[in-house]
Amino acid sequence: MATPLRKVFGRIPGLADGCTNGRMATRNRQVPQQRDSEQEEFQHANSDCLSSYYSVFVARLAIMVMLTILIGLLTILTWHITKSYTAKSLNNLAYGLRYEILQRPVLRMWNILNSTVDITTAQVKLSEYIIRQYDNSVTQAEQVERYESMRKVMWALFASRRALDAITINYRNGFVQAFHRDHRSNNAYYIYSDLTNYSIGVSGSSSAINMASPLQGWDNQSIHGNLSAIWYQEPLDPTTGDKIGKARQILPDDLINIAGLSQVPDGVASWHVAVSKYSDSPLLSAALPVWDPDNESIVAVVGVTTAFYSVGQLMRELVELHGGHIYLTSHEGYLLATSTNTSLLINSTKGPELMMAVDSQEQVISLGAQWLKRTYGNNFPTNHEVHAENARLADQQYYIDSFFLNLKRLPIVGVIILPRKYIMGKVDERAFKTMVILISSSLSTLVVGCICIFLLTNGVSKEMKLRAELISHLNARRKAEASSNYKSQFLANMSHELRTPMAAVIGLLDILICDDCLSNEQYATVTQIRKCSTALLRLLNNILDLSKVESGKLVLEEAEFNLSRELEGLVDMFSVQCFTHDVETILDLSDNIPTLVLGDSARVVQIFANLISNSMKFTTSGHILIRGWCEAPGLLRDFVKPPIDQRKSTPAFTYQTKMKHIGCRKRRESKNHNEVMLCFEIDDTGCGRTGIDPSKWESVFESFEQADPSTTRLHGGTGLGLCIVRTLVKKMGGEIKVAKKNGPGTLMRLYLVLHTTASSTKQNIRANYAKHDVAVLLAVPGSMSRSVMSGWLCKNGMFTLEASEWNGLTQIIQELLQSNSDTVPLQGFDRQYGQKFHGMDGIDNRDGKSPVLIIVIDIGLLDLSTEIWKEQLRFLDKYRGRAKLAWMLNHDTSNVVKMELRKKGHLLMINKPLYKAKMIQILDACIKERNSESLKINHNSTSSAAKYCPPESLLEIDAVQFDGGSSDDSSIEFSDLRKEDINESGDRTSSHCNNEERKITCNKRVSPLQRSVRSNSCVAKESLDGLRILLAEDTPVLQRVASIMLEKLGARVLAVGDGLQAVKALNCELDADDTASGQYLSNEKRISLAKMQFQSFDLILMDCQMPKMDGYEATKLIRKFEDGTGIHIPIVALTAHAMSSDEAKCLEVGMDAYLTKPIDYDLMVSTILSLTRRKDTTDEE
Amino acid sequence: MDALQLRRQLIEYTAELFSEGFLDEQFTQLQQLQDENNPDFVVEVVSLFFQDSERLLNELAKSLSQQEIDFKKMDAHVHQLKGSSSSVGAHRVQRSCISFRDFCNAKNVEGCLECLQKMKHEYSLVKDKLETFFDLEQQLSTTGGSPPPP
Repeated sequence: MATPLRKVFGRIPGLADGCTNGRMATRNRQVPQQRDSEQEEFQHANSDCLSSYYSVFVARLAIMVMLTILIGLLTILTWHITKSYTAKSLNNLAYGLRYEILQRPVLRMWNILNSTVDITTAQVKLSEYIIRQYDNSVTQAEQVERYESMRKVMWALFASRRALDAITINYRNGFVQAFHRDHRSNNAYYIYSDLTNYSIGVSGSSSAINMASPLQGWDNQSIHGNLSAIWYQEPLDPTTGDKIGKARQILPDDLINIAGLSQVPDGVASWHVAVSKYSDSPLLSAALPVWDPDNESIVAVVGVTTAFYSVGQLMRELVELHGGHIYLTSHEGYLLATSTNTSLLINSTKGPELMMAVDSQEQVISLGAQWLKRTYGNNFPTNHEVHAENARLADQQYYIDSFFLNLKRLPIVGVIILPRKYIMGKVDERAFKTMVILISSSLSTLVVGCICIFLLTNGVSKEMKLRAELISHLNARRKAEASSNYKSQFLANMSHELRTPMAAVIGLLDILICDDCLSNEQYATVTQIRKCSTALLRLLNNILDLSKVESGKLVLEEAEFNLSRELEGLVDMFSVQCFTHDVETILDLSDNIPTLVLGDSARVVQIFANLISNSMKFTTSGHILIRGWCEAPGLLRDFVKPPIDQRKSTPAFTYQTKMKHIGCRKRRESKNHNEVMLCFEIDDTGCGRTGIDPSKWESVFESFEQADPSTTRLHGGTGLGLCIVRTLVKKMGGEIKVAKKNGPGTLMRLYLVLHTTASSTKQNIRANYAKHDVAVLLAVPGSMSRSVMSGWLCKNGMFTLEASEWNGLTQIIQELLQSNSDTVPLQGFDRQYGQKFHGMDGIDNRDGKSPVLIIVIDIGLLDLSTEIWKEQLRFLDKYRGRAKLAWMLNHDTSNVVKMELRKKGHLLMINKPLYKAKMIQILDACIKERNSESLKINHNSTSSAAKYCPPESLLEIDAVQFDGGSSDDSSIEFSDLRKEDINESGDRTSSHCNNEERKITCNKRVSPLQRSVRSNSCVAKESLDGLRILLAEDTPVLQRVASIMLEKLGARVLAVGDGLQAVKALNCELDADDTASGQYLSNEKRISLAKMQFQSFDLILMDCQMPKMDGYEATKLIRKFEDGTGIHIPIVALTAHAMSSDEAKCLEVGMDAYLTKPIDYDLMVSTILSLTRRKDTTDEE
Repeated sequence: MDALQLRRQLIEYTAELFSEGFLDEQFTQLQQLQDENNPDFVVEVVSLFFQDSERLLNELAKSLSQQEIDFKKMDAHVHQLKGSSSSVGAHRVQRSCISFRDFCNAKNVEGCLECLQKMKHEYSLVKDKLETFFDLEQQLSTTGGSPPPP
């Protein structure tokens, strides 16, 4: 029982170990040196599970132990009850039984003794009586009579006691009378001696002698020596005592012992055990003397012999009932009676003798006697009572009990030997069985329990292992997540640090490229470096953007910008790339898109730049169409029926219905915010494939995910673009997805939710061109762009004709113009295309003006490879008077062609692609020209037209609104191409390329930019023009320097010496009024006055430390005055303190910006511009 | 030839002034600001600087000689001087102003005095240098040579 337990306990540390090591255990066996570190790693994680494991284990162990104890107790208790108590009570019973059993033969023995004594006494008394009666008888007859009566008395006594063996009387004269009963044959005999030999006289004479010595008086010798006496045996009827046979002479003492004087030496009764020759059992004989009447001499001796036979019989009967053995011995150890049939006597040479119990032929008795002798020897307890329960005799358990019966002169010891199994056999058997069952059941319970514990702990340890594994997995995952998070945060934090050196590298490279002392090789190398740096920067920007968004640091700015202008700029930019691919880039923006929207222009442009460049990557031929329309929540109807007529495709419709839901959802919340939903589609024709596999429509927006693994090889890219797009779109409250498309290519749909300013929500439809009788002939090879443009023109009420190549163009021109009169060119129109041109009916007569035919010709229609194009030009020149020609140039159109066109007076030139804004400009220019012509009423003055449109102004059409004022400083984010342009333009404007050759090459791309910069009044650096600036500065030197700086920029400066003067200069009149008639001045008047006064300055430059009143105080005062008037004059702090606390202080008192001394020229200009421009833009509205 | 020589001399002298730290790029900016509208802008500003500085130096000397020195006032003066010197590009004066202000803040009279001496020294140095510079320029313009590019 202890062994399995020890095993279980021995396993505990092993299990705990296994649990601690978790799943690493097996691996650690091979790599033990790793074990320590890994164990430590897991220790922390497992401590919880270990403790719980221990508690569970201990609890279960405790339960098991308790169960074991319980079972053990039950076993012992049951065993005790069944065995001990029963055994004890049984023992008690058995003791009683044994005692009882033994008591009975002993009692019988006692009875026998008593009866023997009684008989003897009775015999004595009767003998005394008879002898006294016949005392004086002297005659033979009297003697005979006496003997006869004696005989009768004796017979009566003898017959009354069947157990008697013999009764004798031995007279003094030697006469013997005796009755004997043979128990075996059940015969009774009368034995007597011959009377003739005895004389009464003798006996009488001798009595005197006996008186002196009674003992000697009885001549024993005479009896024994009286051999001459003849003994007779007379068989008798055992019941009646009548003689039934003849007396037979027998030898004396042959049959029985005749008690003589020798047996009563002292005259009292004597007892002894005698042995009879003819009986195999010992006999008890008692002898009593019969005294003469005067008690002086013994007259006769009476002897009674009783066989123990009946005792043995009783014992046998008893034993038959109970089993076992009983025997009685004399005090010396001679056997008196046994329960067996074996002989009790030994035949020795001297005749039969009593045997010792030890020598009994019955084995059990002899063994029992030996055992007793061995155990007690001669030192029996005082009363000879022995009770032994577990005496082992011949391989059997026996009860041995002995009792001592102290009879007078015959002490008897009774011994009973009972086999234990007779009494306790069943009990012992039951107890043994119960014991076996209990022990086996408890053992099996224990075994099962141990197995259960083992299984349980095994299961638990498995569970613990799994749990540890889980914990380690969780830890690993947490670590991985944390590290990923760290990565994002790190990158986001590093973004500035990473970008700044890159920008510097690129900037320096630009400077190096501009340097004229580079050799060609060096130049090529540097250009290559420049390209690589740009690529690196782009990649960097992408990653940084992504991480910025991921780490939640991207904050969208909320600034006003011109969305369509941004997109047009983007399209212009990409069309340069497209051109080499033979891909049309078409911008199709609905008229309902608000001009100005609030949002992060840089990010919006980034979205489109990414999408367009993506499309471009996969489009080798065909077109890229960017559609856009507005879906203001309030203008839901417009959305359902999109303003762009040509869009009829079903997918678009489903998308719109979806958008409608979104619109509905958004409607409520956007009521107050002027939200608009701008929807866009970027539709490309792809590169022969059917577009992105639908299963990848979602995954293409994941980072580093591309629809086709071969993309990287074919097209390059990192797969970050669309991911950034999606995050940005989501950030703007929009959604992007790939939509189903019928044709080849991909269709991306997205919508953005942007705010608009209240003023710009109104529809900004341009002048109604319909009233100007304008017809447009689009001679553009690209079918898509042509149809888009003609669609828009039709919608705005203009008649359009389309031609896709030169022959078609000439045909149309000839049909329209040549066949008819010069004055009314459109009559031909009517004739030829009247049915199409219904809208134009009668228009030509309305105000007498002739309708204008504008021919937009793509330069690609001319055959530039040969000299034919000059012929073609000449052909067109013929119709100059009747039609306005507008040229669409390619980016690589050679200067020769341009010069030729210019020379010929074709001044209306635009760069591809053609989109709405450019078309409007063409239309405007043509209408203006026509108007001026009609004013002059001079038909054929082409020169005047040229004069009217000086090259500069005409070229402004070409000036793409590339650079909105709102996005100039974030252009680095857009794309490399755009950035290049900005950088280059920046270089040009500051250092103004001294390299003539480079200048020309750069000009192609940069010129529009430069012009736009010049044309944009608020961006140019020279144009602080007209700004009124109040300068408060006490140091004369600084005052002077600053004012000269500002004046050089074209600002008007008023310099004052301290804060007080500054305040006064702002509102000296106001102050005066206030002091003079402050009470009467109404609040309104004060405000208007303040406005008037305040508006005399656009900006204040305020020194912080000044005598009388410092800059802080002055600013506070000014702000106080402004309070309530709604005006806010920008105040820029000037300070020599260069600490951030000062900056905070400046901003706290209400200043708008902060400049440190000495004044940095550029910083000052940009600061002033940023402050005043904000004002300008609001003014413009 | 004389003009050329003068010009070279002027250029060298200017370079020397810059390299020794008497002047910094702020002075170049001043020169760039000068144009036909303000032909004597640099001289004008520098003489303003001279006047202002002398006044401030006197004030400082006076303040320091008093029994109870008003450090706050002195600090304001030094601040002003620092502003004007930095605007002109008198780099070394500006530097000395910084240490002077530190002493002012620490209310260290001896340090202030020492600094004042140093400042005066620097001031007189830069004044000499600038006067020489203007003389050279003057000569150059009278000889008809074009002034060197700033």
